[in-house]
Amino acid sequence: MEDLLEARGIKKAYKMGKVMVPALRGVSFKAAKGEFIVVLGPSGSGKSTLMHILGALDRPDEGNVFIDGMDLSALSDDELAEVRLRKIGFVFQFFNLLPRFTAFKNVEIPLALADFSDKESYERAKEVLRLVGLEDRMNHRPSELSGGEQQRVAIARALVNSPSIILADEPTGNLDTTTGWEIVQLMRRLSEEKKQTFVIVTHDPALAEVADRMILLKDGLIEGIKVRGERL
Amino acid sequence: MKRKTVLSMAWENMKQRKLRTSLTTLGIVIGIAAIVSISSLGEGFRSSVTTQVTQFELDVIMVMPSGLTGSSQTRLTEGNATSIQNNITDVKVATHVKLVPFPQVFKDGSHNATTFAALGVNFTEFKEIYPGRFNFEQGSLPESLGDNPIILGHEVAHQKGEITAEVGDTVRLVISSSPPVSLPVNFTVAGILEESGAGSLISLDTCVLVPANMTTSIPGVDMIFVKVAEQDYAENVAEDIRSMFNNQVSTLVPSIMLRNANSILNFVEIFLASISSIALVVAGIGIMNIMTVSVMERTREIGILKAVGAKSRNILTMFLAEATLIGLIGALFGVPAGYGLAQILGYTMTSFRLPQGANPQIPIEQISFTITPVLSPTLVLGAIFFGVVVSVLFGWYPARKAAKMDPVQALRHE
Repeated sequence: MEDLLEARGIKKAYKMGKVMVPALRGVSFKAAKGEFIVVLGPSGSGKSTLMHILGALDRPDEGNVFIDGMDLSALSDDELAEVRLRKIGFVFQFFNLLPRFTAFKNVEIPLALADFSDKESYERAKEVLRLVGLEDRMNHRPSELSGGEQQRVAIARALVNSPSIILADEPTGNLDTTTGWEIVQLMRRLSEEKKQTFVIVTHDPALAEVADRMILLKDGLIEGIKVRGERL
Repeated sequence: MKRKTVLSMAWENMKQRKLRTSLTTLGIVIGIAAIVSISSLGEGFRSSVTTQVTQFELDVIMVMPSGLTGSSQTRLTEGNATSIQNNITDVKVATHVKLVPFPQVFKDGSHNATTFAALGVNFTEFKEIYPGRFNFEQGSLPESLGDNPIILGHEVAHQKGEITAEVGDTVRLVISSSPPVSLPVNFTVAGILEESGAGSLISLDTCVLVPANMTTSIPGVDMIFVKVAEQDYAENVAEDIRSMFNNQVSTLVPSIMLRNANSILNFVEIFLASISSIALVVAGIGIMNIMTVSVMERTREIGILKAVGAKSRNILTMFLAEATLIGLIGALFGVPAGYGLAQILGYTMTSFRLPQGANPQIPIEQISFTITPVLSPTLVLGAIFFGVVVSVLFGWYPARKAAKMDPVQALRHE
């Protein structure tokens, strides 16, 4: 299978007061097209930092990220934004919807940024909302939706520009177990239907069950990789 | 991003915080209204002054002894007018005028005196000075000075819309060098002038004119009126006259008055507009303030937008669009508000302009002028442009701050 996403020797440290605290200490892995990867790790293991770097939101101190063979470290800030717009979809723990806009408008934002025509934009947004099962709730604001519904809107927003990679940071972290499970199932189904690569970071081992591959992250290093069906 | 989308997002955000948006906009409304009202009043004032001054005969110069009382040093004489006419080039006519001191005009049989200015003039020469103002409503220029002819100004013969004197009436006028010695002299009304309005060096409407030979008892000459061949020569001629009298006389040149009035008006207008601009700057700082707060509040939102692929310039445009809308709306309300304010101020100023001790019998329009605010298209467009520019300028810093935000930091913001 061809590699869609590759992390090569990623290092990142943060300044806490006067000391530098390492978050990632050299992380390398590859993800193939359509692969469903779960990165499992306790809090403080550097999961979110990895997510941000893979998602072109942040730059590593050392190492490179390649998407479709393109080296992100060579890109300008605007070009990184373009990568986020066209190639990456984000799903967050706290949904991160814009509270003033309806579900539909929230989904439409990436389309507006990508300059789609009104008609195409409307059809695409409606289609992804149907895909996540929210077409009859699309004129509600986030405050009028349940947690699960809000996360579905967020997923719809992540999907709407047809990115090749969806990155999710603790997507179930703010949902009850049942709802969380539904969301995971939804993502799994979408990855199979759309052949999109999913990278989900979580501290919840239950999610690992649906993964094609599970990457265990601890203290900024990969501790182990488990392919589906194998034991760690 | 499409302009329409950016604007509709900005509009949504503004609607969300109605009170805050309205108050910020109000600042711009006040700033623009201040500038518009002052500028339109200034324009109105300028045009009424200019209209008045341009009614002046620009080819007529008035020569007076230095020091307005004329009692002291140099006294002009009848001969001076002749020597001006003979010795200075480009002079068409020069005629001397005497002011009758403390004139008291009694009309037919009446014992009630009315005070008007009374001038002793050479009728023919004076008519040459002001040909345009010597149109008779009744009667004509007297051919002989046999029966003490007198010419009445329009207002002298009309009061409160009624005719109070007619050609052939007898009018008594006290002429003396010092009151209260002399007895009144009888004059026959030879002509009544048409209304000539304001805007000559003397106001003919409120004058009576008597033949110069009736005023020989009054020593000296109060003014010499000089008409030049071309109005462009007026200033040079005035200079020549002054040097002829070793600068012991002063001259009134309408074109210089016009120029001075204009430069004073320019200065006053610029001065007032700068003061009112302060209001707009304050409003601009208000925008900066509110937008900075808004950027802080919306940090997370900015992070989200960046995460889903918004570039720095997308964020910049979104915030600048809000500033632009505030400026535009503020200006759209500010222009009519300022114009309304100018109307009110113009009206108030006019009604306060009645000079103290003025003759209440003369209707106010004749002694003062109305200031009608002028709202030119340039002023309207300028005000709108200025409002938008100030808003964008002051919105720039907070918008820039929002655009430069680090997406990861912004997303972490609670």
